[in-house]
Amino acid sequence: MSGGSCKANGAVYPASSAGMNSVKKPKMEQIQADHELFLQAFEKPTQIYRYLRTRNLIAPIFLHRTLTFMSHRNIRTNAKRKTFQVDDLLQRVQLYHHNLTISACFLTEKPSQNSENEQTSVSLEVLLVKVCHKKRKDVSCPVKQVPTGKKQVPLNPDSNQTKLAPYPSLLVSSSEFEPSNSHMVKSYSLLFRVSLAGRREIMFISSHWADVTETPSRKKRSSSHREEDGSTETYVAQMTVFDKNRRLQLLDGEYEVSMQGMEDSPVSKKRATWETILDGKRLPPFETFSQGPTLQFTLRWTGDAGAKSTAPVAKPLSTRNSDGSSPMETPVKDSLSMDIQTRRELVQCEPRQKLRIFYQFLYNNNTRQQTEARDDLHCPWCTLNCRRLYSLLKHLKLSHSRFIFNYVPHPKGARIDVSINECYDGSYVGNPQDIHSQPGFAFSRNGPVKRTAVTHILVCRPKRTKPSLSEFLESEDGELEQQRTYVSGHNRLYFHSDSCMPLRPQEMEEDSEDERDPEWLREKTATQLEEFTDVNEGEKEVMKLWNLHVMQKGFIADNQMNQASMVFVETCGPFIARRNLCRNFLLHLVSMHDFNLVSLATIDRAMARLKRTVDPAER
Amino acid sequence: MGAVCRSRSTMVLTGKRSEKGPACWKRRVKSEYMRLRQLKRFRRADEVKSMFNTNRQKIMDRTDVLNQEWKTRRIQNILSAYQTLYVSPLRPQCTVDSGFSEFPKQVIPLKTLNAVASVPVMYSWSPLQQNFMVEDETVLHNIPYMGDEILDQDGTFIEELIKNYDGKVHGDRGERRPEALVTSSYTRACRRAGCCSRNHSSSNDSSKKFPSDKIFEAISAMFPDKGSTEELKEKYKELTEPQLPGALPPECTPNIDGPNARSVQREQSLHSFHTLFCRRCFKYDCFLHPFHATPNTYKRKNMESLVDNKPCGSDCYMHLVQAEEVKSPSKRPAAARRRGRPSSRPGSPSVSSETKDTDSDGEEGTSRSPTPVTLKLTCEPEPVDWSGAEASLFRVLIGTYYDNYCAIARLIGTKTCRQVYEFRVKESSIIARAPTEDEDEDTPPRKKRKKHRLWATHCRKIQLKKDGSSNHVYNYQPCDHPRQPCDSSCPCVTAQNFCEKFCQCSSECQNRFPGCRCKAQCNTKQCPCYLAVRECDPDLCLTCGAAEHWDSKNVSCKNCSIQRGAKKHLLLAPSDVAGWGIFIKEPVHKNEFISEYCGEIISQDEADRRGKVYDKYMCSFLFNLNNDFVVDATRKGNKIRFANHSVNPNCYAKVMMVNGDHRIGIFAKRAIQTGEELFFDYRYSQADALKYVGIERELEMA
Repeated sequence: MSGGSCKANGAVYPASSAGMNSVKKPKMEQIQADHELFLQAFEKPTQIYRYLRTRNLIAPIFLHRTLTFMSHRNIRTNAKRKTFQVDDLLQRVQLYHHNLTISACFLTEKPSQNSENEQTSVSLEVLLVKVCHKKRKDVSCPVKQVPTGKKQVPLNPDSNQTKLAPYPSLLVSSSEFEPSNSHMVKSYSLLFRVSLAGRREIMFISSHWADVTETPSRKKRSSSHREEDGSTETYVAQMTVFDKNRRLQLLDGEYEVSMQGMEDSPVSKKRATWETILDGKRLPPFETFSQGPTLQFTLRWTGDAGAKSTAPVAKPLSTRNSDGSSPMETPVKDSLSMDIQTRRELVQCEPRQKLRIFYQFLYNNNTRQQTEARDDLHCPWCTLNCRRLYSLLKHLKLSHSRFIFNYVPHPKGARIDVSINECYDGSYVGNPQDIHSQPGFAFSRNGPVKRTAVTHILVCRPKRTKPSLSEFLESEDGELEQQRTYVSGHNRLYFHSDSCMPLRPQEMEEDSEDERDPEWLREKTATQLEEFTDVNEGEKEVMKLWNLHVMQKGFIADNQMNQASMVFVETCGPFIARRNLCRNFLLHLVSMHDFNLVSLATIDRAMARLKRTVDPAER
Repeated sequence: MGAVCRSRSTMVLTGKRSEKGPACWKRRVKSEYMRLRQLKRFRRADEVKSMFNTNRQKIMDRTDVLNQEWKTRRIQNILSAYQTLYVSPLRPQCTVDSGFSEFPKQVIPLKTLNAVASVPVMYSWSPLQQNFMVEDETVLHNIPYMGDEILDQDGTFIEELIKNYDGKVHGDRGERRPEALVTSSYTRACRRAGCCSRNHSSSNDSSKKFPSDKIFEAISAMFPDKGSTEELKEKYKELTEPQLPGALPPECTPNIDGPNARSVQREQSLHSFHTLFCRRCFKYDCFLHPFHATPNTYKRKNMESLVDNKPCGSDCYMHLVQAEEVKSPSKRPAAARRRGRPSSRPGSPSVSSETKDTDSDGEEGTSRSPTPVTLKLTCEPEPVDWSGAEASLFRVLIGTYYDNYCAIARLIGTKTCRQVYEFRVKESSIIARAPTEDEDEDTPPRKKRKKHRLWATHCRKIQLKKDGSSNHVYNYQPCDHPRQPCDSSCPCVTAQNFCEKFCQCSSECQNRFPGCRCKAQCNTKQCPCYLAVRECDPDLCLTCGAAEHWDSKNVSCKNCSIQRGAKKHLLLAPSDVAGWGIFIKEPVHKNEFISEYCGEIISQDEADRRGKVYDKYMCSFLFNLNNDFVVDATRKGNKIRFANHSVNPNCYAKVMMVNGDHRIGIFAKRAIQTGEELFFDYRYSQADALKYVGIERELEMA
């Protein structure tokens, strides 16, 4: 763990190794210098990968779960597809006609010990917040709050009772979700507002928080709470029911929502992060639930079944800090189908074995540092949780090619030798068509961009070798071979030979040399004939026509000439007739006959063909 | 315009003319000469201006087209992309602070554009798919710029270079003027004379037609190198006489389709076609073969003709003739043909040695004419006018169709066969007299172009005198030595070349290459063509497939790739080695043809001169073709010119004889994968003869 975080922070802090201490003092300086070099060598790539990691978090360019060796990160199964029917779509739509029933209770931290049980209930108000589409005149999206009801809910009920006694329930009518209003509704969310009456209770809660967090600002705020005495304390929380894309976010289930004071505005969407930040200090995801006031409720869509058909929301890119936690809501019991759950457990049980990974940093073939990671399969550079050793190694090899990684089996887990890749030249080794299909933009970060059509060969269920750790073992002989970033095929950007402009993928098939008669050559032959002073204009015209014809068709044999003459008359016949060159054309044919290139029959046929173009009436 | 002005001014001078005498004339000639020169300079300046403007316009048009194209393309706005990317604390920012309180500080995210890698230097070149022969350059076209360092270090290089061209540099004003006067300004001198004469004639009515001798004397005195007074007079006459609009030089036959068509002999009508046609390229005035053989001495291989010995209609001349024949029934048409054959056919260019009749049409069917011409008329000829064009055309066709008047009439179109027959009878005396055989012996004058070809011929003569060792390969030139077999005197034999189908010798010539009779792919030494480093000749090798499937690339014969241009698709990219490189798009097998190395064909001397410059540039595209010529792909070429040199290449070059031309084929030395860069050993050819691609460059390139 320590090694990993070290690297992620951009610098490698040396942990003094035992071997070094024994070295004599005069040598120490040299070693110090060596060590400085080692740090320098590793710093740059580490910085770069740190930057890339952050960039990828902010604006990911691809999903890790789509990589074959990371497929276990994909929690979605295709099991539903087999049973999918079009009617399911209808059911999903019909969800809008379901009523939403909420039964809730309010919890604070162990209140029963101290309290005199003055209050056993709080008032819970549920409002339906509709965020409507912005109209032209509107400055911001119009928001409507529709109160759906107010109920007294028990405060800190006895856990034994919880399961038995049904809590008072609120009902949100299905009509509220119908798109009937003048404003098109973008998204629906539920706003829970809990009002606590009574001063003492507030005091308690506030001071309790202050104890936990120990931050001056918090204290300040709790004191401000105190000033507001006499009035009721209000806690709010907001949950999305339908998101912008009309996807149902709240499935049937039991929920526990951590509530916040009124001043802490509920986490709005814009500010939402994958990290839980409370008072500028990060809180581990589950801590909020054990410390803050929470609202526990059961949510149920009444009406027909079918809410389950909605696919669960995809988990965002999980990193070390946000592993497995959604912002502020945690379904206590997921309504996901069982197979997914079991699968996930399988995935997670692998790192549960106490696996140790020793990163051994090599410089000048000497071990400079060894960092141990226990039970941690996060990538040390980009904090990606790879979950499996194989995936981690594969990821390191492919995504961090500025280093060379060699896997060495270790009785306690694995040793990974890390050294600088001297051969790394930053050259592109992917599909070359990706680079220049969008000059400067291989990947768009701003929505879809029209890209040039490229045909890729997709292999359905390709035969892949079984993932085996042995592929990361240092190869005996072809070490250099392995490091070479050699990709066969068109792994470079080509240029037009005439203009030196980059060749776009759709231009790959065109060969500029397919043209036997480039324009300049056609012009040249015309001007060259034009230069003759003792050749008359009729002869010149026919000669030019014929030359262009021969150049275009590229005749090479004497025995092609009969055919060539006939094709010539077919293509240029109308022009010859129009320009009144028939006799010159006949002279040309006779001359060709004198050279023994065409037969008399060809002359006859060609002239007959020409006559027909001149005067179509003549047969 | 200038002349008119001039004449007015001379009118004033008229009275004083006699007094001043030759001195005055001399001065006047001088001033006139200066004026003409100035006029020419102005005209030239105007020409340059207008050319510049048209060029400019072309560029503008092209730019517009490109701009339009760019507008239709969807290019992603860089700004928007970066805005989303840099909504992050990583964002570097640019701040502009004016220092005045009223103007707020402006902050904008810093956008870094991707660096664009520069491409290697490329000098412009013209694409070419076949070799192109150019003449030697007599003047240095430009002084090559090779960077200031080289000029400073090696000043003598340019001097030596200029010395190679006898000090002639293109566009050199001071040098050119006297030279221009010597070579090409007869015209100008005589126009000058003409102007002066007009001055003179306006003052003197009696000599209106011709200027007085004084002018010519004055001119001659002024420019003694222009020739004597008499010569100038002659020249003047020559230049002033054809003043008719649209008139052509006297040696030019008028357009047979035009209004001025004249009745001329067959040779005259066909002169341009015969002399300009290249029998090897099938083109007129081709780019590759400066000297074309005329067809006159070509033998007819097969005497084919289509004769319908049936009358072509009710008015056919045959009715007249047959009426004649009835009177003498012993003359059978076929027999008549046989007997008639040895007699010189009117206007026929063929020679009498034609003995074998390979035409498969059969003897009877190919009867050339029903009868020998009976120069008798059974009835009075119809009185018809024959225009010059018709008469010329008749003479042309009679030399091809002989006595097939129906066919001739059909081709002339405007006359009936009876009229043709009658015209033939009328013409017979003239035609019979035409001694075609003798005329054919002397080659007709070559077509003149404005440029001279003296230098080229001169160089050629020198080259032919060069004696080389036996393993040298000489350029092929069709031999033409009538009535002499191809023995030791034949140029083909001395050059150790085979006689080709373009030679004038008989097809039974011992020196002819017989072609192959392969049924395989002709890619082993079993094939005589392959063995002789020749591509299969589509007119000789009829079994291997070289003469089939003209349109498809799937020819069974693998030994005809160069002539068919069956090159591979090549792609240009910066080389892994040096500068640009060429990469192959699809994988190829060993020994497969990749591309022809095309370029300008220049003489060895020219290559010597050019090579000096190329060596300085450290960049040469010269490739030895044979002992006479070198291929230079510097100015014109194809993409294979970018292939780099390697001592361990994946391609090899082979100079092959392809239908009479030496051409350079680049072949795969081993199997080559997709996207591999192509290399070949520049030092190919006998005894490393390729001295122009310096061997020392190998170190630098590899």
